[in-house]
Amino acid sequence: MVIEDEILPFFQWLPTGLLHWLLIAGSLAVAALLIGWLIAALRHGPGAAVRMVSKTLSEAWADVIHMSGRRIWALAWLAVKESIRRWVVVVFGVFIVILLFAGFFLDPASTYPARLYLSFVLTSTMYLILLLALFLSTLSLPADIKSKTLHTVVTKPVRASEIVLGRMIGFALVGTGLLACMGVLSYIFVLRGLSHTHEISPGELQRLQASWEQQLAGGKSAPPVEIETETAHGHRHTFRADAIRRDGDRRELIPRGRVRTDVARGHWHEFSYTVPDGALRSDDPLALQYTMGPPEDRFVARVPIYGKLRFKDSSGEPVEAGVNVGSEWAYRSFIQGGTLAAAIWTFEGITPQRFPEDRFPEGLPVELTIEVFRTYKGDTSGEDIPPIHGSLIVRNPASGEQVEVRIFPAREFATDTQIIPRKLTRASDGRTFGLFEDFVHDGKLEVWVRCIEPAQYFGMAQADMYLRARDGWFAWNFVKGYLGIWLQMLLMIAFGVMFSTFLSGPVAILATLGALIGGMASRFMISLATGELPGGGPVEAFYRLLTQENLVSDLPEGFRSELMRMFDTVLQGYLRGMAEILPAFERFDYSTWVAYGFNISGDLLATRILTMLGFVLPVFLAGYFFLKLREVAR
Amino acid sequence: MNPRDRSFYRKIAYLVAMALLLGVMFFFSRPATQDARGVKGSPGGLLAQMRAEHGLSQAQLGEIDPTSETIRLATLGMRGVAANLLWGRANEFKMKKDWTNLSATLNQLVKLQPNFIAVWRFQAWNLSYNVSVEFDDYRDRYHWVTRGIDFLMDGTEWNDRQPRLWWDIGWFIAQKIGRADEHRQYRRLFREDDEFHGRQALFHPPGRYPVLDDRDNWLVGKKWFLDTINLVDNHGASLGGLSPLLFRSDPPMTQINYSDAIQKEGVFGERALRAWNVAGKEWRDYGLHDIPTTFDTIIQLELLERDQETVDKLVAELDELTAGIREEIYQERYKALRPIEREAFETPIADRTDREHQLAADAREKLQISHKEVAARVPRPNREKAVKLAERVTELEERIGHIDRYRQIVNYAYWRLRCQVEQTPDAVDAREFTYRAEQALAAGNLPAAVDHYSEGFGKWRQVLDAHPGLLEDQTTVEDLMETIGSYRKLLDQLDQPLPDDFVLNDVISLHDKQQQMSFGPYDEP
Repeated sequence: MVIEDEILPFFQWLPTGLLHWLLIAGSLAVAALLIGWLIAALRHGPGAAVRMVSKTLSEAWADVIHMSGRRIWALAWLAVKESIRRWVVVVFGVFIVILLFAGFFLDPASTYPARLYLSFVLTSTMYLILLLALFLSTLSLPADIKSKTLHTVVTKPVRASEIVLGRMIGFALVGTGLLACMGVLSYIFVLRGLSHTHEISPGELQRLQASWEQQLAGGKSAPPVEIETETAHGHRHTFRADAIRRDGDRRELIPRGRVRTDVARGHWHEFSYTVPDGALRSDDPLALQYTMGPPEDRFVARVPIYGKLRFKDSSGEPVEAGVNVGSEWAYRSFIQGGTLAAAIWTFEGITPQRFPEDRFPEGLPVELTIEVFRTYKGDTSGEDIPPIHGSLIVRNPASGEQVEVRIFPAREFATDTQIIPRKLTRASDGRTFGLFEDFVHDGKLEVWVRCIEPAQYFGMAQADMYLRARDGWFAWNFVKGYLGIWLQMLLMIAFGVMFSTFLSGPVAILATLGALIGGMASRFMISLATGELPGGGPVEAFYRLLTQENLVSDLPEGFRSELMRMFDTVLQGYLRGMAEILPAFERFDYSTWVAYGFNISGDLLATRILTMLGFVLPVFLAGYFFLKLREVAR
Repeated sequence: MNPRDRSFYRKIAYLVAMALLLGVMFFFSRPATQDARGVKGSPGGLLAQMRAEHGLSQAQLGEIDPTSETIRLATLGMRGVAANLLWGRANEFKMKKDWTNLSATLNQLVKLQPNFIAVWRFQAWNLSYNVSVEFDDYRDRYHWVTRGIDFLMDGTEWNDRQPRLWWDIGWFIAQKIGRADEHRQYRRLFREDDEFHGRQALFHPPGRYPVLDDRDNWLVGKKWFLDTINLVDNHGASLGGLSPLLFRSDPPMTQINYSDAIQKEGVFGERALRAWNVAGKEWRDYGLHDIPTTFDTIIQLELLERDQETVDKLVAELDELTAGIREEIYQERYKALRPIEREAFETPIADRTDREHQLAADAREKLQISHKEVAARVPRPNREKAVKLAERVTELEERIGHIDRYRQIVNYAYWRLRCQVEQTPDAVDAREFTYRAEQALAAGNLPAAVDHYSEGFGKWRQVLDAHPGLLEDQTTVEDLMETIGSYRKLLDQLDQPLPDDFVLNDVISLHDKQQQMSFGPYDEP
């Protein structure tokens, strides 16, 4: 799975994140106070303005501190009832229709159908829930104000803060309920949509029985025949089933057994057979009873231990990154084959306790994804084209002792599992090493990957190799994926309610939509603001668009270019600021994690929950002030 | 009038206006009707008639996909925006090598733009040519090549009168699979691909286009090319940007490529001979087909020789009537040349300077005498006959010129000769010996390889002596040079030089000459 931004452990992230938040929230608060004071000063003079600002602040303090849970709940319940009347049923209906028609888009025969199905349900749920949150949160207060319902509410002893918070909680409750229903339906949809089994043709069953008969009769000791299943969901599986127990020259049929098929499209099945009365009859294929189980290992939640990646160049010197082979997307760095170039991961916290022998008897499971770049195709004249081979090496980071674990063929765009055995023997001198005793130092272990074929390249990124410590529970991971959507929904509701306190319904929708789109495009906005993107700032880019100028050539020097640059500097500052203020919605999107079968870590979840609160709190306060300042609430 | 009445009357006015507009709309766009027996009734409104005339109605483009229609309506006029977003996503997924999502996005995209042929063509090309090469394992590469072809097949369902899509399928199946570096593996995988052939069979029921091998990529590609021709010839589909000359050459060329491919894979005897025989017949049929030219004439490639014979006969007749006149005109013109031109013209080509080359070319042009000019000087009463003959000859020569140009584009004469030659016993033996030599070489049996090569080259000598025209095309020379190259390497292993009296020395010299000609004076050969 691609991880473009490094995920820090929660407590490592917390101080920096908190400081960042304090700085931005503090600056915004100071700016808001100054603006408030300025407006009041213009109307009533500077002294009175100070008094008014401090009065508003003290009232706000009281309004927030003395909020009543009972009143908030009453208001929240009101919002729930109103929402159920309005939009919820429609959105749920649309969701069901989408699921009904999803079969037209989703191809269970694709290379990784689970990824496709999971991405689809998570993404469509996200868009629908955000849409619902948008309409619910923005239209409610303006409608109440227009219909004067709010006037009745404010005559009651309720605080503006309670109205805002009550709305937010009410809409959040409705959204949560709907999201839960969607989650359950999606889960069933994915499980059912991908559930299948495979038949075995009578011919194949006959072949299997004939091979067993031959072996029972004392025929040649050949490996069991490879049986191929029928096609289902656009793929087949193969497996070899050996049903003969050998004891010296004696051979005996095992009447019941089960074997795994090979892995295809990211899953396998269990083939179990029964030979009734223990008698084989290859002339009657139905004599062999079999069942083919459901897909296994399709839905997983790997818990990976990531390492730090560094590179060595072709002469063995450390470099920041490998070679760029000309890909537009520079996520992966490449190492040259047949040289000293290597990609080196340093893993931390590798202890025998974390990888106990009873759970990992063979050794450390390493999962690796490699991109191959061939400068020539190799020998294409034979029946097969040989793959490019790499070498997996473990090294002690302190002593420098190293041993080659194995030579492996690279499998591109597929996760390849390698096991680092607990006991390793060095081919050059025959010495035997213990993995934890000789290669792990202070919990650290280095794993090196080299491409061994000259003039061919391996491409790798940090997240391309990890140790698979254990697997989480997929259903819980699925829930965490929905939790990401839930966090986005809360943000959307907070912004919607805040905007609806001082804007009319349609304008509040536009403003909230703007916050959503801005938030989703925050990465783009930052790269535009920092000049990372070719083509200059917004004005220059617009000029290039109009004049059909390409993005890379310099504009002619002169007044016009200078003027554009000046405007761009201002706009870039504004963009930078907006990118900081608006929540980056894409960071809350865990669909890739769920779809690619990676556990959403507690660190990631905690970070995002705190980030969400970091946004919701100031947005709630802003909403409160806006409502407070409106005539209707006084 | 009080405000309430005003509002009421305004609403009535709106309703009346709406009814009128609906009436006008109905008048222009009411559909054509036909009764239950299919007998046509009303031709429909003006818009409906125009749609039918230009083949624009949805039902005329291909099947109607309810999902696609629903999605298009559901975008509420924002289809363009949605399509743009999806194109952006598809490009990003491609850049980030997320193939699963790329495929899913393409499926969504075509639901939005099912009749936009460029989407199907561009993205199918993307899958078969650009995505497939990203994979290291040739099996994965093959999988993505066929994904692209599948995508095109989907496209034909919604656009069953778009010959370009059908032609693309033929091209992908024939050329992408048959010409890739991995063609040996691709052809094998294609043959074993039950799923693909299962789907393919839905388009080509047995017996529709009988071919020698229903699982060979060249011949399956040929079926799709034949479909394309059928669409154009029998269903009024437009060729679009396809050149009729090339478009009609595809089915016989795939038959030729099939024959060539099976021989390279070691298939000889009756099967190979039959394949070449069919190829020869189809190539000749192609040569007899009317091909419209850009000169607004219709030609048949096969008829060049016949026209040339006619011209020779007519010119001989004309020469009888114009005895001495051509020479007389020539002398007059020669005398009329400027001295400097005459001098340049008389200078041997090798000794001419650049300026003299130019002057000599000018002189040559001035000395050109047309048949009509000669005929015009014939004394009466034969002048009229001579002029008619000259006109006919000029017309035929022009036609021959067009045929010749068009023949060169598809290398017509070479492939015709090749189809004949490959059916001769000597050519079959030559190919078989060469194949055996390669097999022996791969098995490490060097002495046997030398023997087979020697026998093969001997046979090749006989073939080339009998058909010297084969060497006029680079294809045979390149083919033979590849074999000679392997032979040379083999001799190197045995520490033996290539014999001075090697039977195909002329091929080597010709190849060297062609190499020299293809490099400029400053290029390193």
